[in-house]
Amino acid sequence: MSVLLEAKNLSKHFAGLVANQDIKFRLEAGSIRCVIGPNGAGKTTFISMISGHLRPTEGRIIYKGQDVTDLSVARRARIGIARKFQTPTVFDNLTAYQNIELAVLGTNCPRARRHNRIFEVLDLIRLSDAWDRPVQFLSHGQRQWLEVGLLIAIEAELLLLDEPTAGMTVEETASTARLVQMLAQDFNLSVIIIEHDINFIRDLHAPVTVLHLGRVLLEGSFEDVAANDQVREVYLGHEAG
Amino acid sequence: MTADADRRIPTVGHFSLWGLGQSEIGMAALTFIVLGLLPIFVSGYSIYILPQYMLFGVMAMSLGLLWGFVGILSFGQAGFFALGAYTMGLAMQLDLGVNPAYIGMLLSLVVGGTLAAVAGYFLFSAGVRATYFVLVTLALSIMVEQIAVSQSEITGGWNGMFIDRMSLTFGALGEISLYDDAPAYYAVLPVVVVTYALLRYLASARFGKVLVGIRENEDRLTALGYNVSVYKTGAFALSGAIACFAGALYGTHASFVAPSLGGVLFSTEVVVWVAIGGRNSLLGALMGGILVSALSNYVSTITPEYWQLVLGFIFIFVIVFFKGGVAGAVAQLPRLWQSRI
Repeated sequence: MSVLLEAKNLSKHFAGLVANQDIKFRLEAGSIRCVIGPNGAGKTTFISMISGHLRPTEGRIIYKGQDVTDLSVARRARIGIARKFQTPTVFDNLTAYQNIELAVLGTNCPRARRHNRIFEVLDLIRLSDAWDRPVQFLSHGQRQWLEVGLLIAIEAELLLLDEPTAGMTVEETASTARLVQMLAQDFNLSVIIIEHDINFIRDLHAPVTVLHLGRVLLEGSFEDVAANDQVREVYLGHEAG
Repeated sequence: MTADADRRIPTVGHFSLWGLGQSEIGMAALTFIVLGLLPIFVSGYSIYILPQYMLFGVMAMSLGLLWGFVGILSFGQAGFFALGAYTMGLAMQLDLGVNPAYIGMLLSLVVGGTLAAVAGYFLFSAGVRATYFVLVTLALSIMVEQIAVSQSEITGGWNGMFIDRMSLTFGALGEISLYDDAPAYYAVLPVVVVTYALLRYLASARFGKVLVGIRENEDRLTALGYNVSVYKTGAFALSGAIACFAGALYGTHASFVAPSLGGVLFSTEVVVWVAIGGRNSLLGALMGGILVSALSNYVSTITPEYWQLVLGFIFIFVIVFFKGGVAGAVAQLPRLWQSRI
């Protein structure tokens, strides 16, 4: 498989604070990666540098062989790097249909196909029945899905999901895992997920990158990571214990 | 997966959520018909003055575009309006063998659009938002007024500038003078209708939808790949061009322009019209511009000292009880009626 994204020695310092230090990271096309770590490990900082919301202090970001380190958020979104924020960030006063429509309008989807395309995405995120409801009246979980739908609708190839299952029920979390797997397998999308929910991470069967104090502590399968003493100590330790 | 997608055609009500009620079209058509027939039944001062109020209404719609669609408040609309009037005044002094009023109209569109585009480009791409943008537009108004005062050899300074009434010329086909009230009235009315229709069309087009997206969540739209500052600049430029064009017609209709036309006080009045009329409704903004300015004029003849106080009370009343202005309140009526039954 080809490398879609590569982070070369990424560092981010805020004044004296080291948020990320010398992160090396590779992601293959069509693959899923979980990024975990205790609070303050630098997960969101890392994703923000990939999405363009933060500029790295040092290091480069290579996407599809192109150096995107200096591109704006919008430019990156147009070439396929799109982000879901930690709290659902959608167009609250518009309907689900209009939300997806705004995303589709940004693509070169021909006018005649637009309507069907919108419903394709709504079907995928199971919001077809609520298409005409202002999304402020949707459940928290539905709003999380809607935001993922926005990223699908702009035909993003690399989805950055910052805690997509936060505030979801157990069932919603499980179906979110299935959605993400389907996006990777059927649509060949690549996904980087920041998560805290251990069950969700296990369900994904995806490689895990552990961050600790802004550095990569370990990379491996969920089982390897879960069995690692160091990881148990800094992260899983207090969950298990 | 989408076998039944075609059955779910968005209804009329769906589009109302883009911020401008579809039900408004019927009301707008009725308004324009009434305005079209008015000179048959009324004459005299009303028909003389109404075109000026209608042009205020056009200026109000230019603010409605910014404030209603994009959520950007501007205190600079009167600045553009006055700029248009001065542009027309200066153009009327030209002798190029072409109808100078046409040059004035064209120039006003170019001058207003360009000034707004340049200001907008630098402000929006620098990330100037909300309150700070409002302050800059306030400064724009002050600048127009100050330049009009200081450049007295061109503008006439405090004394203002006299502008001829324009004529409509059709080359070899002849000429219609707009010196009389009724022809002038019927020359201005189509401008109102066309501006309304243009903005109405934009609301349902891609451009209008993206503007609403900016109002609803600018950061989300940016993260979806939109170059938001380009859209905001476009909206501001269009708004400036419309206000400037309306000002050019106002100048030739009123036959006079003074610096205060571009001042902060008048700019604030425009904001009050649109707030009272309803900023989420183009018709609300238009009617706010026409009716509130007419009311202000009427009240000011009754009580020259207190008319602004009266206007202020109406403003506070509307804002406290109907946040969406009169148009917002009217739009809520059917729902209110249903809940009573």
